[in-house]
Amino acid sequence: MFGQAFRQPFKNAVLLLVWVWLLALVLVPNVLVVGTSLLTRDPVDFLTLPFTLENYQRLMDPLYVQVFLHSLYMAAVTTVLCLLIGYPFAWALAGVDKRWQTLLIFLLIVPFWTNSLVRTYAIKMLLAGNGLINSGLQSLGVIDQPLELLYTETAVIIGLVYLLLPFMILPLYAVFEDLKKELVMASHDLGAGRLPTFLHVIVPLTLPGVIAGVLLVFLPAMGMFYVADVLGGARNLLVGNVIKNQFLDARDWPFGAAASVLLTLAMAFLLLAHRFSRRRLGEEGA
Amino acid sequence: MKKMALVGVAALSLGLAGCSKQDQPVLNLYNWSEYMPQEVLDQFRAETGIRVIYTTYDSNEAMYARLRLLDSSSHYDLAVPSTYYVNKMRNEGLLAPIDRSQLSNFDNLDPSLINLNIDPDNAYSVPYLWGTTGLAVVADRVDPAEVTRWEDLWREDFVGRVMMTNDMREVFHVGLRVLGYSGNTRNPDEIEAAYRKLAELVPSVRTFNSDAPRMPYLEGETHVGMIWNGEAVMGQEDMPSLTYIYPEEGAIVWLDSFVIPRNARNVEAAHKFIDFMLRPEIAALVSTEIGYATPNVAGKALLEDDVRGDRTSYPTEEDLVNAEFQEDVGDEALQIYLRYWEMLKAGR
Repeated sequence: MFGQAFRQPFKNAVLLLVWVWLLALVLVPNVLVVGTSLLTRDPVDFLTLPFTLENYQRLMDPLYVQVFLHSLYMAAVTTVLCLLIGYPFAWALAGVDKRWQTLLIFLLIVPFWTNSLVRTYAIKMLLAGNGLINSGLQSLGVIDQPLELLYTETAVIIGLVYLLLPFMILPLYAVFEDLKKELVMASHDLGAGRLPTFLHVIVPLTLPGVIAGVLLVFLPAMGMFYVADVLGGARNLLVGNVIKNQFLDARDWPFGAAASVLLTLAMAFLLLAHRFSRRRLGEEGA
Repeated sequence: MKKMALVGVAALSLGLAGCSKQDQPVLNLYNWSEYMPQEVLDQFRAETGIRVIYTTYDSNEAMYARLRLLDSSSHYDLAVPSTYYVNKMRNEGLLAPIDRSQLSNFDNLDPSLINLNIDPDNAYSVPYLWGTTGLAVVADRVDPAEVTRWEDLWREDFVGRVMMTNDMREVFHVGLRVLGYSGNTRNPDEIEAAYRKLAELVPSVRTFNSDAPRMPYLEGETHVGMIWNGEAVMGQEDMPSLTYIYPEEGAIVWLDSFVIPRNARNVEAAHKFIDFMLRPEIAALVSTEIGYATPNVAGKALLEDDVRGDRTSYPTEEDLVNAEFQEDVGDEALQIYLRYWEMLKAGR
């Protein structure tokens, strides 16, 4: 073992780095969050003993169940919209000339150079009652009164879709890139029409990309509290808002931590579902 | 190649300039957003060489939580809590005492706004600005003459057009006053009654905003609702039809004061800054620029007539009939408020 270790110093150094990184920046913070969620609120020192499960019980309160369900609903709509836009987008992207592809992907990534909060405020300026969209439509005579866009559920979903769409497109683009043209041609040669080819060949082969995209969109969509704050007018709460309010305003860290753990568990559940579906797909393939 | 080298040198010198900045004395100021003109900070730096790092918050709760958390790390040298939080933080021993001998301009302050029961003898706080929270009406859309009471916000033709501040205590203050209770009540039944009253208003509320409460009016999204008087003054620059009204049930009055956190690193600079802000000409500049009332008598005397005579910034005694100062309600009542506040915000 040690002989090997000395023979591959670079590999081991990298592995060590990865382990330190994961331990210090993933495991330790998460253990702290779980630990916090089991403690009791203290008005002065934030946390105190005894250990309790009360914070999790409070999450079952109809008030928070309602917020959670509404957040789930907005995240689901966001994910479906991202998928509906992202799937044909990625498909078309994989089809264009290689020279153009690099440029198009570059353009897809360019918005990341600007902070997402700044971009959220930019969307706000577009959607406002006297913003670009409303004043444009009004001067064209399409509408008399400004549309109610800003501070609505729709505004939050527009913001989430805009911010998260690249996270759907990129994994889908990767699977479309790997999709072998020969398989599609073979399907056609064997007499399958466009629809059966799509359903039985293309969809199953791109499913891993779909699942990866859904995972990357769905959970962040439940946590992006600033989108709900800026575009939803602090009225369309996400789970992220509840967590932020508990930590910053209510100073109830244990409860905020419990809500955060719930979100992490939802993530774990989705990952398990992902693994399960992959295994099932693998068996079908064999 | 030469160009590249030049760019490199420029970048390097910028980097070095960045380093030398570090050696200059720094004052970390934690303040409300849009609550101090940049001009004032620049002038302070030009005179003293002290660079002010201005960090912002949009609620007392957020400010308090951050100061508690960073208590031992001496992160901030000055903060600007509202009335009732001065009391709370002083009682909890979070503040360093103010050394009056370093404040040559303290006597400029209005005697009626010092030595209040939130901080007897101003041992821990120095007033910065005071203001009111009242009604705002966009006159193009709603006739200001028809809006005189908080209760008018419940009118049916305002559905979807009402703006409330994103401040739990202020919103409950409105609900409590409409029902005839004190805005500082600790009585759970009264708080619950206010919640029920406010729950009827929430479907009308377009947005809650404490970041810049004038913005939803300027954006054309809301036509009536709550606003801070200084925000109304600032908003009138872009939208002259934005009208500020003192509600009959009583406006909410608050006083924001400078405090020094107990572990502040640069206590001397903090005192220098407070004394600088107490200068009459600086106090006048601040009040003119951001529209809140200065507690500085000498400063107020320097104001232009149209600023001093603006009832939005400087209410008459008549305007303040029924008005109430915000007071600390204690942690127990606060948790009750908080619970109902979350129910209000989640309700739709």
